[in-house]
Amino acid sequence: MRKGLVISGEFGKIVVREKSDQKIELGELLIANTKEGKILLQVFDLQFGSQISQQNLELISGMNLEENTPINLYDEHLRNYNLALMKNLITIKGNRAIVCKSLPNMFSEVQEITKEDLKFLTKPTHPLFIGKLRSGSKTLDVDIFLPGKQVFSHHILIAATTGKGKSNLMSIMLWDTVDKDYCGILVLDPHDEFYGRNKIGLKDHSDKEKVVYYTPRNPPPGCKTLKINLSIIKPQHFNGVIELSDPQRQAMNMYYKKYGEKWIEAVILEKQLDVQFRDDTLAVVKRRLLYLLDLDFIKNQLFCNGVFDLKAGASTIKDITKEIEESKIVIVDTSSFSGAVEILIGSLITTEIFNMYKHYKITGELKDKPVISIVLEEAPRVLGKEVLEKGSNIFSTIAREGRKFKVGLTAITQLPSLIPRQILANMNTKIILGLEMAPERQAIIESASQDLSQDSRTIAALDVGEALITSNFSRFATPIKIPFFENIVKEKKETPKQNFSGINLK
Amino acid sequence: MKFAHLADCHIGAWKDAKLRNINTKAFERAIDICIEKKVDFIVIAGDLFNTSMPAIDDLKLVVQKLNELKHKNIPVYLIAGSHDFSPSGKTMLDVLESASLFFNVAKGEVINDKLKLNFTFDKKTNVKITGMIGKRGSLEKKYYEQLLKDNLEKESGYKIFLFHSLLSELKPKDLEKAESQPLSFLPKYFDYYAGGHPHFVFHAKEKDYGTIAYPGPLFPNNFAELEKLGRGGFYIVENNKLDFEPIQIYNTSNIKIDCNHKTPEQVNEALVNEIKGKEFINTIITIRLFGSLESGKQSDIGMKEIFEQLYDKGAYFVMKNTNALTTKEFEEIKVSSGSVEEIEKSVIKEHLGQAKFENMSSEQQEKLIQILIEVLSLEKDEGEKVADFENRVKTEMDKVFEIRD
Repeated sequence: MRKGLVISGEFGKIVVREKSDQKIELGELLIANTKEGKILLQVFDLQFGSQISQQNLELISGMNLEENTPINLYDEHLRNYNLALMKNLITIKGNRAIVCKSLPNMFSEVQEITKEDLKFLTKPTHPLFIGKLRSGSKTLDVDIFLPGKQVFSHHILIAATTGKGKSNLMSIMLWDTVDKDYCGILVLDPHDEFYGRNKIGLKDHSDKEKVVYYTPRNPPPGCKTLKINLSIIKPQHFNGVIELSDPQRQAMNMYYKKYGEKWIEAVILEKQLDVQFRDDTLAVVKRRLLYLLDLDFIKNQLFCNGVFDLKAGASTIKDITKEIEESKIVIVDTSSFSGAVEILIGSLITTEIFNMYKHYKITGELKDKPVISIVLEEAPRVLGKEVLEKGSNIFSTIAREGRKFKVGLTAITQLPSLIPRQILANMNTKIILGLEMAPERQAIIESASQDLSQDSRTIAALDVGEALITSNFSRFATPIKIPFFENIVKEKKETPKQNFSGINLK
Repeated sequence: MKFAHLADCHIGAWKDAKLRNINTKAFERAIDICIEKKVDFIVIAGDLFNTSMPAIDDLKLVVQKLNELKHKNIPVYLIAGSHDFSPSGKTMLDVLESASLFFNVAKGEVINDKLKLNFTFDKKTNVKITGMIGKRGSLEKKYYEQLLKDNLEKESGYKIFLFHSLLSELKPKDLEKAESQPLSFLPKYFDYYAGGHPHFVFHAKEKDYGTIAYPGPLFPNNFAELEKLGRGGFYIVENNKLDFEPIQIYNTSNIKIDCNHKTPEQVNEALVNEIKGKEFINTIITIRLFGSLESGKQSDIGMKEIFEQLYDKGAYFVMKNTNALTTKEFEEIKVSSGSVEEIEKSVIKEHLGQAKFENMSSEQQEKLIQILIEVLSLEKDEGEKVADFENRVKTEMDKVFEIRD
């Protein structure tokens, strides 16, 4: 269907006159036919055009407003029209897409995109379903897949303001990977929303055996109580979790050196060290550990109230890493923790995973292992400029060098501008949902894999569920429509009848 | 109210007659202590026997002791464990229960495809007992998934739940690779959770769950357990206070030699030094050699003489483990350490996917193979006709594949 004609412009800013009976939208994908092939165009701005001078237009409108004179123009559809500013995305030659390096001819017809034009969008190996291709506000029946293995290991950033569908998108991505063996995912879930304790969630997947849920409170049958044994925690796990002075950090290290796995108990019980520290330094370390780990020290006895325990949870971290290595999705409900505890737990698990994969790289086993992604909500809490100025943490280490070891981050945030540019640039796939704040859009645009310099307005105009993907692994910044998670949750598989042999049945 | 909590007796587990004998003696001793301490009843949390069809000699002794308890009016409540459970439901436990020697408390009914467990009441104490069997490969998980908990949780009075599974949250570091079930599978609000299956001694109180306890085996079940535990035992619980009763039939002594950078002669010398001047009367001795010999081969160490010396010093039984011992002179051979079950598991995993099973995940295939191994390792009973034995195996196999006439 003809939607307009190319009339002027320059490379990256092609002006198209809109056909009067058509509507071209911001973000719409269109095709311009040339001798060399088809050029895929995307609208980034819309303007009015008129053959009538501005002065006359103002006069005509004044007559209508002030004197109720009807506006009757001769050949109005020829004189007044809309202009669409478009950028050329790629050139399509048969089933191939190549970088666009030429302009369409003057007066080239610009047509609505069809499924036929998009044959070059093939399904990659290890496809990760993200949504349907979107042209403006229209959703096309074309599934958009990213190469999951590469995308997860090279980090993903999901940026959007509240209510634009970040959680819905994450649920869709997780759902798609549940039954796939190419990746294992750790989700630190501060809103307890992905498992679906009281609503539709990953628990409803037919392959639910591959979804493991840890929660500190009242786990549903078959799910695990989150318990972490104190003996697993090392002083290094507190990096980026709480602020500690040098003497406090040194004191913790000295306790660990002397008492090993029992160092936290030793701090609380005020056991002797070989090196002298000021009393108030030790008192602060003790108080902070008691508070952070939710411990009580009564009558010379240590009591554990929360997730950290003296007896239970000795294998929790190992269990989680093993499950992730088995390509499972492990959801850790951190909704009842303070930010610091959540980061401490995340840091414990992530450090173990990262060290394990580093080891696999040395032993040559890494190539057979699934890629691992760690989903971080409100990512600037651990990847923010301010946090990282105080020292690096395991998440920033993964952001920098994780991809060499097949470990990536999926960072979710409303405020990408708080993440240092270097880390943002390392996030090789960005899924941008609506971002109203200009500095946030700017941060993303400056670090995008494709040129988004013209797209600020398009990003601001993204509606709920609409997104723009920019990735090293896609040919162009792809507009998508993300389906509602509830709609893709298929009917549950019927559980086969159990025969209960071995139980004395009536 | 006082009761004893036993688990993992594994009667008939050891192949060697001497160790097998200790195993049964440990059971006898445990029962004698229970009688002596005047417990009101005994609970056994699975794996009383090491197989579903134990040998006659083992059976005879167990029956005698159970009969003794019956005459003393000390009831025994138990569940089948992963070893004495049979997929066909035909186990020696059924025979013994029908002779009223104990009560199998894993009983209930199926309501709308869900499993409702019923309580067994101890008449003397009014304690209410129920439990869930254990199965190989943690297959009891499927039962737990279908378990109705409301009736169990709402029941008032003192309640005991017997289970035969390792719980993920309470797993110790050395069992971190073992399969486990989450605590959330167990019904809440019982006073005592009598556990079996993992061979470690542990008890803890968990919020909403009361006391959860594992007494470990009555007697260690393999070389590593002899090294680690030395002896077995069980709990006596009185007013929810737990006392561990150790069962020490013979002493145990562990010798470990790091053979790295040593010649066989030096290893021999180290062993001689270890035993020099020591008495080993009525002692079970474990010798673990590990590392890489500088020269020579294992047979040059002269273990035979060491064994003889130890027996001369009164040792009851001497055993060695050289799984982790290699030698530089010979090509390195990959050896697997661990129990037979672990080795089987790793071999199955290695070969998964070589045969095509339709509609079966690799996890399901692995479990099926494990059950098949279990069924196909059934042995012909004494006096059983070949045809009867064949029929028994066939029935078991039919059960596995759910083939009906």
